Amino acid sequence: MTGLLDYQPGSSPLHKAHPLVKLLLAVAICVCGFLADSIYINIIILLLIVLCGARCGLARQIRATLKGMGALCAILFILQLPFIGSGRVWIDLPLGMTVTDQGVRFCAQLCLRLIGATLPLVMLFAVTRLSDLTNTLVAQLGIPYRYAFVLTTAVRFIPVLLGEMREVIEAQTARGVELDVGVLRKIRLIPPLCAPLLVSCVQRMENNALAAELRGFYLRKRGSGYRRYPLSGVDYAWIVSCVILLTISIIL
Amino acid sequence: MIRLENVSFELSNRPIINDVGFRLEPGAFAALVGGNGAGKSTLLKIIMGLYRPARGAVYIDGEATRGMRVSAIAKKAGFLFQNPDRQIFGATVRAELAFGLAELGISSEEARRRVEGTLERLGLDGSRAPMSLSRGERQRVALAGLFARRPKILLLDEPTTGLDYRECMQMMRCVAELNEEGATILMVTHDMEVALDFAPRMLILADGQLMAQGLTRDLMRDAELLERASLMPAQIVALSARLGIAPGEADDVDSLTDWIAARRAAKGGTAR
Repeated sequence: MTGLLDYQPGSSPLHKAHPLVKLLLAVAICVCGFLADSIYINIIILLLIVLCGARCGLARQIRATLKGMGALCAILFILQLPFIGSGRVWIDLPLGMTVTDQGVRFCAQLCLRLIGATLPLVMLFAVTRLSDLTNTLVAQLGIPYRYAFVLTTAVRFIPVLLGEMREVIEAQTARGVELDVGVLRKIRLIPPLCAPLLVSCVQRMENNALAAELRGFYLRKRGSGYRRYPLSGVDYAWIVSCVILLTISIIL
Repeated sequence: MIRLENVSFELSNRPIINDVGFRLEPGAFAALVGGNGAGKSTLLKIIMGLYRPARGAVYIDGEATRGMRVSAIAKKAGFLFQNPDRQIFGATVRAELAFGLAELGISSEEARRRVEGTLERLGLDGSRAPMSLSRGERQRVALAGLFARRPKILLLDEPTTGLDYRECMQMMRCVAELNEEGATILMVTHDMEVALDFAPRMLILADGQLMAQGLTRDLMRDAELLERASLMPAQIVALSARLGIAPGEADDVDSLTDWIAARRAAKGGTAR
């Protein structure tokens, strides 16, 4: 079963695009979402992302991200809404708090921006192999390999750590630990869950660091990558699209 | 007693366990063997209630586990993971053992008594930090955690993996002692020597299906069956089979030596 940030093989135009172009596109869409003043632009951007993702066969990743972000956004929406007093008052709440039209609009736009910033990054990792991304960052952007390695390793470790966490939970549950209990008891259960996870993380990091060093990690140079990533005509078209998208967002 | 009836389990629409059924009587000691990816650990987790079967039923001590909380199953069954570091977190061995008992709601007086008894019996130093111990010792600490809880059923997931011979024997002697005291044991293992030496019964799993079950010494002789399950018999069994000795007649070094000596004596040679 592939995780949310795992590469999903495919032959869509996004899959075929240059890794740097995909990174640029993801960043451009995120920036557009934050630049746009109108909530309708945010909705259009989100719809475009979803359609594009569905076209690339990433419906599962999009669904999972929307589900996770939906819960977070709902909490943010509820927490923020009563504190925005400007605009036409719809509902009066106790302690001088109100629900206003501008408050609803602001909170909704914030949620759309958050989702609009997260989805392109999830899609970026789903259509790009991490090794391709690392190689491009090093070879074409001149980022030192150790920093690119740290970035990609951190991303790669997320599903690994989730798997480790699941195993630790299974091990503790099998000892009779009940996890669906009250908040206070949950706090007491932090050591049995976190200590084994911490130990396994440190062990894994040490092993990986040793393995990397033994394979000549520090001998790597900018041109050491096995694959080359030349930009094609389609990639230039993608870059022009990014520039147009950014310009439209700034104008609107 | 462990009973499985037509248990099936799927992960992401992929069948992992397919229509598995068997029964282990109280006090039985069985080895669950099979190649990598056969579904052994998954089956063990299904019995423990960590995974819920898509079809079929699991009975622990005569009670169906469907709908039971894992914490309720944990009062009857103990699970030893292949990697002890998944469950060890206590600052000392003593604290580690006491945690499991507290989770089961055992009184502190009784818990103290059980912890000290277990430490003495397994020869563990309660004041040591578990993470400063060797892999084999940590595995024994994890087993001691089960030992202190005195479950009727023990589910062991490759308990000897990564242990040297001495550690392996220490571990298996502890397990055998628990079995002698009446615990029912189901042990996943890749080590056919350990299976032959300690588990009188054997279950063979391949591609999520139970291929065979029966006496270990009999199943070890079925070369074709073992081949299909990506297994090799214990070396002593393979040697006995080649010598034409009946199953169970010479399944350890002593009895095989006696058999060879008797044959040599019968032929007029010198028995050593």
